[in-house]
Amino acid sequence: MRILLINDTARKVGRLSEALRDAGFEVFDESGLSIDLPVRVQSCKPDVILIDSDSPGRDVLEQLCLVSRDQPKPIVMFTDEQDPVIMRQAIQAGVSAYIVEGINSTRLKAILDVAQARFETDQQLRAELQAREQQLNERKRIEKAKGLLMTMKQCSEPEAYTLMRRQAMARQQKLIQVAEQIIAMHEMLND
Amino acid sequence: MQTDTPKQSDPLAWVAGNDAPEKPVLNIGFMPLTDSASLIVAATQGFAQQYGLSINLKRQNSWAGLRDRLLSGELDAAQGLYGLAYGIHLGLGCPATPMAVLMGLNQNGQSINLSRAMLEAGVTSGEALARKAHHDGAKLRLAQTFPTGTHAMWLYYWLAAHGVHPLRDVETLVVPPSQMVEHLRAGRIDGFCAGEPWGACAIAERMGFTLATSQSIWPDHPEKVLCTTAAFAEQYPNTARALIMALLDASRFIDDNAANRAGTAQLISASEYVDAPLGALLPRFQGEYDDGNGRVWQDSHPLRFHAGGAVNQPYLSDGIWFMTQFRRWGLLRHDPDYLAVARQVQQTGLYREAASALGIATTPDDMRSARLMDGIEWDGSNPHDYAHGFKLHALSDDKTLCESC
Repeated sequence: MRILLINDTARKVGRLSEALRDAGFEVFDESGLSIDLPVRVQSCKPDVILIDSDSPGRDVLEQLCLVSRDQPKPIVMFTDEQDPVIMRQAIQAGVSAYIVEGINSTRLKAILDVAQARFETDQQLRAELQAREQQLNERKRIEKAKGLLMTMKQCSEPEAYTLMRRQAMARQQKLIQVAEQIIAMHEMLND
Repeated sequence: MQTDTPKQSDPLAWVAGNDAPEKPVLNIGFMPLTDSASLIVAATQGFAQQYGLSINLKRQNSWAGLRDRLLSGELDAAQGLYGLAYGIHLGLGCPATPMAVLMGLNQNGQSINLSRAMLEAGVTSGEALARKAHHDGAKLRLAQTFPTGTHAMWLYYWLAAHGVHPLRDVETLVVPPSQMVEHLRAGRIDGFCAGEPWGACAIAERMGFTLATSQSIWPDHPEKVLCTTAAFAEQYPNTARALIMALLDASRFIDDNAANRAGTAQLISASEYVDAPLGALLPRFQGEYDDGNGRVWQDSHPLRFHAGGAVNQPYLSDGIWFMTQFRRWGLLRHDPDYLAVARQVQQTGLYREAASALGIATTPDDMRSARLMDGIEWDGSNPHDYAHGFKLHALSDDKTLCESC
């Protein structure tokens, strides 16, 4: 398992890094505040991102948001920060496990496993939500195109559906593609 | 005073209600065959969305590959040969995995075709083929598409009805349907039994001719089914029901009129689906046959997808028939509890719910009867005697299906 280890303070990174290597992980160390996290994640392609931080600042959370959106990975955060507001912000930014105080090397493996499972569940739910949203959106666009066609051709709902499907099949396209073409054409003619 | 406002019919109510599919996005496997039409139409023409589903179609190269991906979970559901679903369920050629047949996808429309060399040698009838098989030295090499599949069973049944023992008098082998024409061209096979458009393509490329249609063996025979593992149907019953409804809707649309049928043929001929010339695909899709040997006819039992639901109901007797043929040809060494197995596999309950929601009729007893080409009747009532009643068989053969599996 490849781990990208981020340390945003001048704190002792060595301790955690060694514990991880001893446990058999492949570790990529990064320290300092100025790291460009999305770029680093892209180049190192870690399985897990591990952040060791006294208190995660706005900048760190901002970068985590970007990573979660564009190249989602399980993120584990070790910190001394107990402020529930920051904890919430971190979780919202995509942190899968937020561990306050103390890195116990014997528990590392279990923590990483839980973070990964949590992350996978989140991803699945996110993908399903996205699929449902896309489905609803496609249905609305098809309904809209059907309505436009009914007005233009003075035809019934089933007739409009049939016209759209015939057109789609004749061009070896999906119904949604024909719907988009009808909507685009209508917008052009009515501008 | 409060007045009752009539309930607005919300097209999305179904999707949002308790019957909403548990799994909204499905990967569904299909083979490049005209039989795949209802799956392709359902996935692309807005039929699945109506029931809260998005279908990602995954084209497969072989039935064995499709089976493996269905069992690994890479595919949620798939077009299946009737016999493939039962072969997996009974563990013939792979570890037994409980299977679910959700519905029938089509009837008719397969064919047995022979090479140009056979045509030139005058092997153009069952009798001529029997003479060749019994008296000539080299065994004929005839391909089908899957060891327990429908094409193997149609080929065996047709050969046996002409007195040719399919396991002793000829050599049979498995070839993926879309590769049949290439195998004919290379002279690796003398003929094949497969779905369209591959018979028509063999004729169009002057590589062969059609000796018999599958509907001449059994008019309105069961063919492809929509199948999942039993575990999938149990875990996602709403998804399974929604999928049946989407496919019933699409099937009804295809069979509704000639223009829809022609449009469907145009759609499925595309390179990402069947990938075959429309000229080869369309005629048989409309029941217009040319056997490549001078006979032209309009078939009275052409490929069909709906027929008011008669095509789609997962009859117990259809499932049982394939088991009787497995027994007949020694693929099953003992008689299974035919009816009990069919009741496990055929999802008659789910199908009824889906059909009634769409106002599609079902028959109450899940059995149907037919007279096959040899005059023998099949009605599902006595599978043991039926399986043991054929003149040609391999009942006592100690033959396992696939030693290497």
